[in-house]
Amino acid sequence: MSTATTLDVDTAWETAVEDAPVAVHSAAGLVAVAGADGTCWILDTTTGDIVATVTLPGGILAAQLSPDGAHLALGGPFGHATWSRATNTTLISKTGNWSAAVRWGGNDKVAVASGRRALVLAADGEQLWATDPAPSTVTDVAWLRENRRLATTAYNGVRCYERHSARPVTEYGYLGSHLALAIAPTGRWICSGNQDASIHIWRTLPQPSAGGTPIGGDLTMHGYPDKIARLAFDDTGYWLASDGAPDITVWDFSGKGPEGTRPRTLRAHETVTALAWRPGGAGILASAGAEGTLALWRATRGRAGARLRPAHTRELDQPVTALAWAGPDLLVTADWEGRVHASRLPAALPR
Amino acid sequence: MTTDTTDLPENETEVGDALDTRVPVTVLTGFLGSGKTTLLNRILTEQHGLRIAVIENEFGEVGIDDALVLDAEEEIFEMNNGCICCTVRGDLIRILGALMRRRERFDRIVIETTGLAEPAPVAQTFFMDDEIASQLRLDAIVTLVDAAHIRAHLDEVKPEGVENEAVEQIAFADRIVLNKTDLVDHQTLAEVVARIRAVNALADILPAQQAAVDLPRILDVHAFDLDRVLETDPQFLTETEHQHDTTVTSVGIDLEGELDEDRLNTWLGTLLRERGTDIFRSKGILALEGAERQYVFQGVHMLLDGEMGRQWGIGEPRRNRLVFIGRNLDRDELNAGFAACLTATPAAVTA
Repeated sequence: MSTATTLDVDTAWETAVEDAPVAVHSAAGLVAVAGADGTCWILDTTTGDIVATVTLPGGILAAQLSPDGAHLALGGPFGHATWSRATNTTLISKTGNWSAAVRWGGNDKVAVASGRRALVLAADGEQLWATDPAPSTVTDVAWLRENRRLATTAYNGVRCYERHSARPVTEYGYLGSHLALAIAPTGRWICSGNQDASIHIWRTLPQPSAGGTPIGGDLTMHGYPDKIARLAFDDTGYWLASDGAPDITVWDFSGKGPEGTRPRTLRAHETVTALAWRPGGAGILASAGAEGTLALWRATRGRAGARLRPAHTRELDQPVTALAWAGPDLLVTADWEGRVHASRLPAALPR
Repeated sequence: MTTDTTDLPENETEVGDALDTRVPVTVLTGFLGSGKTTLLNRILTEQHGLRIAVIENEFGEVGIDDALVLDAEEEIFEMNNGCICCTVRGDLIRILGALMRRRERFDRIVIETTGLAEPAPVAQTFFMDDEIASQLRLDAIVTLVDAAHIRAHLDEVKPEGVENEAVEQIAFADRIVLNKTDLVDHQTLAEVVARIRAVNALADILPAQQAAVDLPRILDVHAFDLDRVLETDPQFLTETEHQHDTTVTSVGIDLEGELDEDRLNTWLGTLLRERGTDIFRSKGILALEGAERQYVFQGVHMLLDGEMGRQWGIGEPRRNRLVFIGRNLDRDELNAGFAACLTATPAAVTA
């Protein structure tokens, strides 16, 4: 790869937090950096200055800001919490339940995995409704159909719920332990990453009626050496990136989908620790590995089956444990030691 | 570990390579009242100063404040990989995963399971999940037994198809703490030891009162390390007077000679594939034809872990030693099957 195609990346700011970060999320000029021990630092994306700190006793597993930046939701081993920016107050729910996923559905409600259920909370933390118990602890949650339908993953499949319905309206079954959930922004695909080292994919064609069996069939991508714990669609919904191997795979979901195709493979890491698509859908992916490499990719280049090399890499002393894009031109990474680094990319990337 | 083995697995590393810095995990199991909580508190007290994380499956009374205690509800997940007895503990995977993301390094992790828990999914979790296997090391399964009550538990007749958990827990154990010996007479104690031996010829039996056992006998014992396989000779029960009809037994094979690798692969592969559900644990040191090093292996059900071990000594007889612990094992059939893997010519003792 010639130098002409490498990306020009500058440091915007650097700071540090006193913990090992497990999640980074950005919205509305804020970036939340959540530490495993239970403190979440909320930083200004322009300066890196601390705006607030929020604590969830017992540890944090997941953190997400509402799209307007007015609220933050945290999940942890012993419960969950919501924070309000306007009042700088935190409502902590010590449920004793494992909360490994929190996901805002617009600015007014957030889904929180809580033991074997998912709860839907108002922005102030008040519970609106809850699903009935899944066969195991809920591992991930996601919204679809303009945030009207909630999908959860747990043992043996994905379940979809609608407002105030404790029972699922649709179930996408597949034997095994599902760890992560990704729903295409097009609404056409539901994908789960699995303990048994596969990605399972369901088509969500329009249903003949409410409820009933999903039509369109499903498929499984086998052959990964490791479990799939991270998978993400880009903003177009045409590309799915995942871990599960030293090489990140990128599947093409345009047209009829990935069935019978081969993925692009991105080689830079020993074990993938984080990945995130740049917002805007230009095919730029950021990834990090346990070996300490941070990589940026033009992940949709070449043809199906191509092995791609990174457009930019940076070697770090410590592996990045979480990263997030704060808009298309700012990438925020947090490493094992708590160093938080914001990299500025040119707004218009050279092709 | 590999699943559904048909070829002898061979790790890239050989015995005695780099120091194993993975965090040791001790599994503490046994019926309610056998003294688990007492032993756990003893470990936490005597190892004061070490950072210990405890994962509990039942509400215990851990009396040490500086230990991190996490509750877990047993979640047994089947693996969707065609390996019928490959189950893992989803609760342990997520809890251990979260522990590893914390900045503080734990010196030790203790998993306390209920007397009703199946040991196999716990053990298999450490071999089926690469993220866990890369950072944590299953040190040993320590089973506590109440000397006064264990015979009643062992004799309990279960409905068809239901396991006797007491038998299983003894069969899987690397160390058996025979607790409350002060509550039984010598005759009873001898009978209890004989009963345990008939099931498990490999485990060290450690008599104790008030769970006062020398901690070095149960901690950091490396029971799953291949270079410790059959370090101490198994103690098969030779006297028959105390033997009961037990369906779970230990079968040992000790034969001189060299093995035809193809025939061994076929025999062992078929055995584990067809009888893997009934074979709880297996260990062996084998002499492959023409090999300068011993082949060492150990397994849990169908999962087999093996590698080339130490060099055979000059003039050392090529001796094959194997132990199977399992249900309905046919000693004669196992002996005959293994003997048929020996090469026709007598083993050559090479320099």
